[in-house]
Amino acid sequence: MRADITVVAVYPHPRARVWQALVSAEALSAWLMPTDFRPVVGHGFTFRTTPRPGFDGVVRCRVLEISEPDRMVWSWLGGPVDTTVTFTLAELGPSSTRLRFEQTGFHGLGAQFARLILTRGWKKMAAVGLPAHLDRQA
Amino acid sequence: MVKLKLMYSGLVVRSGRPVKEGPPDLFAALADPVRRVLLERLAPGELSVTELGEGLAVSQAAVSQHLRLLREVGLVEVRQDGRFRRYRLRTERFAELRTWLDELERFWTQRLDALGDYLERDS
Repeated sequence: MRADITVVAVYPHPRARVWQALVSAEALSAWLMPTDFRPVVGHGFTFRTTPRPGFDGVVRCRVLEISEPDRMVWSWLGGPVDTTVTFTLAELGPSSTRLRFEQTGFHGLGAQFARLILTRGWKKMAAVGLPAHLDRQA
Repeated sequence: MVKLKLMYSGLVVRSGRPVKEGPPDLFAALADPVRRVLLERLAPGELSVTELGEGLAVSQAAVSQHLRLLREVGLVEVRQDGRFRRYRLRTERFAELRTWLDELERFWTQRLDALGDYLERDS
């Protein structure tokens, strides 16, 4: 399954160190959002940010999988977003680690589909819609 | 935290209703396989209900039902063309979705950058 959102980053640090920054509440609170995370499968935790109309500012999560040293999965529910986020670490060298972040779900790949349709719709508009429109104007 | 405001503003604020009530949201609308087929068929241009339902294993009534829902969430619009009703995509709604997803992607990119800073600081 293709993820709706994928972000990849490479850090000049050992994998164990990056892993620690993913599974410590203190670290997560520093680089992501304030949280009461604990690295225990099934543990429910939250991230807190500024509330907005329609969004109480609380992201509700659950630990779905922790496979030290390279994979962690959470459910991620906030506002209209009911998704799954996955962190995967790959050791590129003694002091080089690749982190792949993926967010999937959005009600059954709807997001990915929206992108696809948009691309096709726009291509078609460019190929047919605009020239046809110009013809009519001519 | 500014980015997070942005990432949640599009869908919820504009719809302004509880998540479980009222018309289903955009992602839920896109989740249904029949509706995806209908949208895909509409990507090249306008079609009638009959054309849209061709070869599908669902009744025309069901197709109409799906189209009504797609209109409710603003993904599709309809116009009267003589005796026919012609459906077409509302690309601006798809563009809105895309903007929202791009914001979300930007949010995570920034957070992963922040993780890099955190790792530098604490080593």
